[in-house]
Amino acid sequence: MSDKQPKKKFSFGPGLVGALSASPFALLMLFGFVAPLLCVVWFGLMPPKTFELLQAPTLENYRTIFEQTYFKSIMWSLGLAAVTVVILLAVCYPLAFAMAKIFRSGTAFITYAIATSLFVSENIRLFGWVIGFMKKGVVGGLLETWFGLQIDSLLYNVPVIVLGMCYVYLPFMLFPLVLGVNMVPDQVREAAFDLGASRWQVFRKIDLPLSMPGVMIGSLLVFVLSVGAISEAKILGGQKVVTIASDIESEFTYAQNWPLGSALSTLFIVLTTIVVFLALARFDLEKLLGKKPSE
Amino acid sequence: MDESAAPILEVAGVTKRFGKFTAVNDVSFQIADGEFFTLVGPSGSGKTTLLRMLVGMEKPTEGALKIRGQTVNDLPPNKRPTCMVFQSLALFPHMTVGKNVEFPLTIRGAGESERRTRAWELLKLLHLDPNRYYNKNVTQCSGGERQRVALARALAYDPDILFFDEPLSALDARLRKMLQKELKDIQRSTKKTFCYVTHSLEEAMVMSDRVAILRAGVIEQIGRPDEIYAAPKNAFVAEFMGEVNLLDITAAGGATANWDTGRKTYPLNLPAPLEPGAARKLLIRPESLRFLKEGETAGNAVPVKILNEFSLGSRIQYHVEVVPGCTLTVERLREERASGEALLGWELADSQILES
Repeated sequence: MSDKQPKKKFSFGPGLVGALSASPFALLMLFGFVAPLLCVVWFGLMPPKTFELLQAPTLENYRTIFEQTYFKSIMWSLGLAAVTVVILLAVCYPLAFAMAKIFRSGTAFITYAIATSLFVSENIRLFGWVIGFMKKGVVGGLLETWFGLQIDSLLYNVPVIVLGMCYVYLPFMLFPLVLGVNMVPDQVREAAFDLGASRWQVFRKIDLPLSMPGVMIGSLLVFVLSVGAISEAKILGGQKVVTIASDIESEFTYAQNWPLGSALSTLFIVLTTIVVFLALARFDLEKLLGKKPSE
Repeated sequence: MDESAAPILEVAGVTKRFGKFTAVNDVSFQIADGEFFTLVGPSGSGKTTLLRMLVGMEKPTEGALKIRGQTVNDLPPNKRPTCMVFQSLALFPHMTVGKNVEFPLTIRGAGESERRTRAWELLKLLHLDPNRYYNKNVTQCSGGERQRVALARALAYDPDILFFDEPLSALDARLRKMLQKELKDIQRSTKKTFCYVTHSLEEAMVMSDRVAILRAGVIEQIGRPDEIYAAPKNAFVAEFMGEVNLLDITAAGGATANWDTGRKTYPLNLPAPLEPGAARKLLIRPESLRFLKEGETAGNAVPVKILNEFSLGSRIQYHVEVVPGCTLTVERLREERASGEALLGWELADSQILES
């Protein structure tokens, strides 16, 4: 045996291994997320109604957006998403609390039941509601047969759109909330109660702040998903409400104005990002997780 | 209990059942105002269930709980003049030390300056410099500091009785000893009634005015620590007090008995006569056993082989073997060393006959 160290031909240092294992994800993100996004942003700067990417950039599309009434559909999207978040918070928090702290076998059942509904496509589930609410549908037909009541279609209005959105996005609020409520130690809640706090005070001062990570994650998920929602307004709302997502869709399809659609998309992504970051800044996640003192 | 003091807490025939399981079975005792009372028991003895009933987190199945003569069975914890320091401490992780201590005052609607003054006082009382700790996050505090914050928060509630659910069990021995003494000091200076729960009789002995020993939901013995130490009621209590020797004996008529070591029976002399055939335990403390010199006699003597010795500072603890599988613990002063084979003896007056 020789005393000399054998010459290293090739070595897997920790840095190289890390880079290699990160590369599939990095490539996926690069080609599946970053590149299309950059394409959209760039397309938004092309002259209207063209399909060429190699032209001089212009802000023509953005001028069109501000001159016309696209802000209405933006407000509808943001408003519907905000209302959905608020309603789902109110509906899901008590259920999440029960699932995390009270139900035993019931929790698994509810989890499976809700998760199973996700196997059916969203559009099909929404058409289910249409059958339920249309004129002489499940609801109207039953009322007529049993009570002799004649009612018109319950579809094509704002509340039914909100109902559809709440229904579709419920799991995305519920499951983060369950995790959030689980983060509140029972003894901490008991201690507050023992120190004189009423149930409401325990909720406001202990439960809510300590489960805030779940509340934030659930709200952000539901907001971001429902702000881009398109089927609910189309299927349940008819033409009553035009959301920004359907505006964008029609620019890309019927209108064949890809640059304008791209500009709308870019603007909307920027807007949503601002809203989300404002919310995140307002509720500092690190503070919520107890890594920083509250004051 | 000091008979002149009125009981602040009265537990009368309290029973708690979970389905078919009886966690606490017909327990009765009283705690005097200003007393340091400790409930001791191994895990599963029902001590935590009893404590949870006392603070209102569980309702007794039977019996009555009275605070200052008023029945509180159905009063929820937030309406009771009691407060508990949890085993986990249950500090509010999203609040600073100051806000934690002020919590009961905030709930009561006290003003900002009043809250701050009180929190400042309490932090000082517990040797936490308010200038350093008031704005510190509780999650950044050490174990000992967290203990103090939990106690300060409980004191801020100004309860009539403070309950403790083994809050010191997670600390290292040195810190635990220090905090035990501090707890006793605070109890003395605040004149509050403390009711402590622990699985360590040693801890109970250090701090308490009176101790109640629980086994399987029943109080085995209740009394001052020195009373219990001097006269344990049965083998369970004696064993619970720490390292003692308990010999399985069967009375053999008069004041004699046979000690069954598993392999061999030894005839022994007893401190008192016993009905023949009765099975009992003979308690001998490690310090009552001694190695006999040549020609020396004692009430009882057995030949033993010395297995191990452990230094306890001024004393040495020996583990000696009577027959394989049967060992005794002996504690002697450092001067009286022994090794190899020896004759172990004890005086009759130093042994006690106990029910098993």
